[in-house]
Amino acid sequence: MTEPTESELLDLAVPYALYAVSAGERADIERRAAGAPRDLAAAFEEQVRAVRETMAAASSATAVEPPAQLRTATLAAARFRGKRQLGWRTAALVSAAAALLVGAVAFGVGLLMRPHPPAAVAAQVLAAPDVRTVSRPLANGTATVVFSRDRNAGVLVMNNVPPPAPGTVYQMWLLGAKGPTSAGTMGAAAVAPSTTATLNDLGSSNALAFTVEPGTGSPRPTGTILAELPLS
Amino acid sequence: MTGPPRPGNELDALLRAVARGDSAAFAAVYDLTASRVYGLVVRVLRDPGYSEETTQEVYLEVWRTAGQYDSGKGSALAWLLTMAHRRAVDRVRAEEAGSRRESRYGAASAEPACDVVAESAIAGEERRRVGECMGTLTDAQRQCIQLAYYDGLTYSEVSQRLNANLSTIKSRMRDALRNLRNCLDVP
Repeated sequence: MTEPTESELLDLAVPYALYAVSAGERADIERRAAGAPRDLAAAFEEQVRAVRETMAAASSATAVEPPAQLRTATLAAARFRGKRQLGWRTAALVSAAAALLVGAVAFGVGLLMRPHPPAAVAAQVLAAPDVRTVSRPLANGTATVVFSRDRNAGVLVMNNVPPPAPGTVYQMWLLGAKGPTSAGTMGAAAVAPSTTATLNDLGSSNALAFTVEPGTGSPRPTGTILAELPLS
Repeated sequence: MTGPPRPGNELDALLRAVARGDSAAFAAVYDLTASRVYGLVVRVLRDPGYSEETTQEVYLEVWRTAGQYDSGKGSALAWLLTMAHRRAVDRVRAEEAGSRRESRYGAASAEPACDVVAESAIAGEERRRVGECMGTLTDAQRQCIQLAYYDGLTYSEVSQRLNANLSTIKSRMRDALRNLRNCLDVP
């Protein structure tokens, strides 16, 4: 049955190159291409290459200038790496966290601050193949979570978020099927040079939410949810 | 030429520098490609916020994996845009794995099939040329590209959507890409 399989593989080169196949089909096509005779594999590769070059040429038709702050945030990652002699992965992570911190107004990160820098966790998260970024407005600023399900961890970065009112804290909650679980608090008092925090156990949660809570925090959320960042 | 500068072979050299940790080269790669990357991502996701997040993820991936780019297998621009397209489509498919998928497809179907041509007429010689080439495709071919590439449908979904059998859809896709490639003079 070599013949039909061969023509079928070439038949799928265009949908494959357009990423218009399901994940299962994609794995199957890649497996078949890897096991194909050299000539067939070369013909398949050439078709895939041609489609990708064609769509790259066509991308001038959809080009749109991105917002300037995206450049600032993205490039700060590379700049930061040059200042520290860190391993590649750590540097990439730390620099990305730094990028998100541009323009940050520091306020205290209380219970969430670990005694050690979050670089190790952050490095793992940013180096993870499934790394994702979610941002939502919080007060007058922005809360951003860079997270990885594979690593079961995330890095929280707060930009321009005003401190909570005196006598209150921001409290973070991981929302899941079992209800909200506290992920720590941030008070105005503990002013720190950075407003990053690590989330070391995302578990089965599907979102990170923020409330304002009295005193040093609550066992269960009592305030309204100010922001909710989906973790899916 | 009045259009945006077309990134060429210099991207190859820049990516090699990025692989060595050169942040100035990284900035140059961003400046040369960001409008194409962001524009493609916006086109697929149709949401500026999601598109910014996804674009940043794409460049983090470039920063991390520039050393894996093999110029023998294709241009740097194609490598980068393949990555951007894949991430954008993954996100669309994840977001719409539920009932929202249908409504979005409904909205997409209300658009004229030739919006690629209309939008491409905005500015720039290169943009105009792509528009002209899209215009040389049949409506059916253009619709296949729209659904499969810009809307993120799989070819099976395209076939269901258009009530055409799989081999017809695969032929249309192949013909569309061949015509587009010839018209754009892609090597």
